[in-house]
Amino acid sequence: MPTTFFGWVGFLLEQYGGLFLSGTGMTLLIALSGTAFGFLIGLLVAIVRTLDVPRGMGPIKRALRKAAHALIAVYIQIFRGTPMIVQAMVIYYGSMQYLGIDMDRTVAAILIISINTGAYMAEIIRGGIVSVDRGQFEAAHAIGMTHWQTMTTVVLPQAIRNILPSVGNELIVNIKDSSVLNVISVSELFFQAKSAAGTYYKYFEVFFIIACIYLALTVTVSRVLRYVEKRMDGPDNYVICGSQSDSRAEIVVNREQEEEVDRQWQSR
Amino acid sequence: MAEQVIRVEGLKKSFGDHQVLRGIDFAANKGEVVCIIGSSGSGKSTLLRCINLLETPDEGKILYHGRDILTDERISMPQYHAKVGMVFQQFNLFGNMTALENCMTGQMKVLRRSRAQSMENAMKYLRKVGMEAYVGAKPRQLSGGQKQRVAIARALSMDPEVILFDEPTSALDPEMVGEVLSVMQNLAQEGLTMLVVTHEMGFARAVADHVVFMDQGVIAEEGAPDDVLGAPRHERLRSFLRSML
Ligand SMILES: Nc1ncnc2c1ncn2[C@@H]1O[C@H](COP(=O)(O)OP(=O)(O)O)[C@@H](O)[C@H]1O
Ligand SMILES: [Mg+2]
Repeated sequence: MPTTFFGWVGFLLEQYGGLFLSGTGMTLLIALSGTAFGFLIGLLVAIVRTLDVPRGMGPIKRALRKAAHALIAVYIQIFRGTPMIVQAMVIYYGSMQYLGIDMDRTVAAILIISINTGAYMAEIIRGGIVSVDRGQFEAAHAIGMTHWQTMTTVVLPQAIRNILPSVGNELIVNIKDSSVLNVISVSELFFQAKSAAGTYYKYFEVFFIIACIYLALTVTVSRVLRYVEKRMDGPDNYVICGSQSDSRAEIVVNREQEEEVDRQWQSR
Repeated sequence: MAEQVIRVEGLKKSFGDHQVLRGIDFAANKGEVVCIIGSSGSGKSTLLRCINLLETPDEGKILYHGRDILTDERISMPQYHAKVGMVFQQFNLFGNMTALENCMTGQMKVLRRSRAQSMENAMKYLRKVGMEAYVGAKPRQLSGGQKQRVAIARALSMDPEVILFDEPTSALDPEMVGEVLSVMQNLAQEGLTMLVVTHEMGFARAVADHVVFMDQGVIAEEGAPDDVLGAPRHERLRSFLRSML
């Protein structure tokens, strides 16, 4: 048996490396798909919330829309107002005992984290939509675009760019908080660590390794996200075609310079 | 008699218990430039927004070539919107699109034109407003005057019959007002029907065929520019014109 801390770390890695790796895979799977599905849920919810209830509308459609708005409000309140660890217990054991559904644990984990994330995403995406000024909606309607066309071609592209940092933050939160799903015995990283640690009573050593893995995941993800944000902003420069006969007559405008000018103006 | 493109009859609109439009009647003939003047809060924007159906009128009719757009089933809303363009005070360009894309989207989505056809048409109008050099620029990279010219090109790209302008130069720095007004003057000379809410009295005098003075939700005075601006009959119009000097 090893005698030093690093000896133990090496030993445990050798013994349980595969287990940790599969746990890491499961954690990533749950976090990524939970964020993706949560995003879709949030998007749907946010779009429904932007539909207003006009006076001219038929009574049945009106009632349906109002019901949808009320349901959404309840959903968001419940899932933001209770801990995910409790939601996991209620959904997993509730559906088993009262609906007779014995869910696959991985499916259950993804479901829970998606619904939970959806409630947060709905608010984030609504914020993104609100951040696109109302005038652009009106301009789109004024040239005859439908609500759906306006949303998909004008509003959402800008809204999503604006909220990308918050969406990335949700992913990072999910990587970490998926650990609470060990309560339904899904084989994610924390669950694997618990079973590995128990064998030799080496809790500190095992969880030291696990901490390093979580950290590596979150740091990598935030780096990747920052790269994606930069890419989405497009080139910093644009070209003014000075003259159509002489393509050399170009002026390149640099956005950083512009932003610097803006800052100077704002600080006055 | 010239053909009436837009005719408004007995138009009323309230926000809550504040009645903003209290019965408006007027018409714009084909090829005419109608300038709408009046102090802030008199309901000028609300009138244009009702004609454009950005607001739903409470009462009255809006006739497009004699057909009531609020009730006539033969008029499809996207088609109507394509025929009646709008230019806003705050430009309202699509921030995620280049100048060219701003002028193409509506053509492709609403008029179902091909990409090539939309681009050709967009370029034609960007050239007309003198913005062909900036086709690849995003709105945030343009000055106010340039944005407004792109916004005009965007409206023109739908090949509308009428364009409504809501104070198109009020958000501009003074040195940029001229470039936008001269674009509008060219359009007027080419025979586009235009409804222009403006505080530019020089423009109204030089370009308008008809001037409408709105006051507290009604049309208080209207007529030829020389009459309305040169020989105002109502005291409220006289004091409004004095305040514009
Ligand atoms: N969406 C709205 N909700 C409530 N009040 C409004 C709304 N739009 C305009 N108003 C009110 O209607 C009045 C007329 O506004 P508006 O048509 O914008 O006038 P103008 O363009 O002549 O300055 C103002 O008192 C304004 O506050
Ligand atoms: Mg106004």
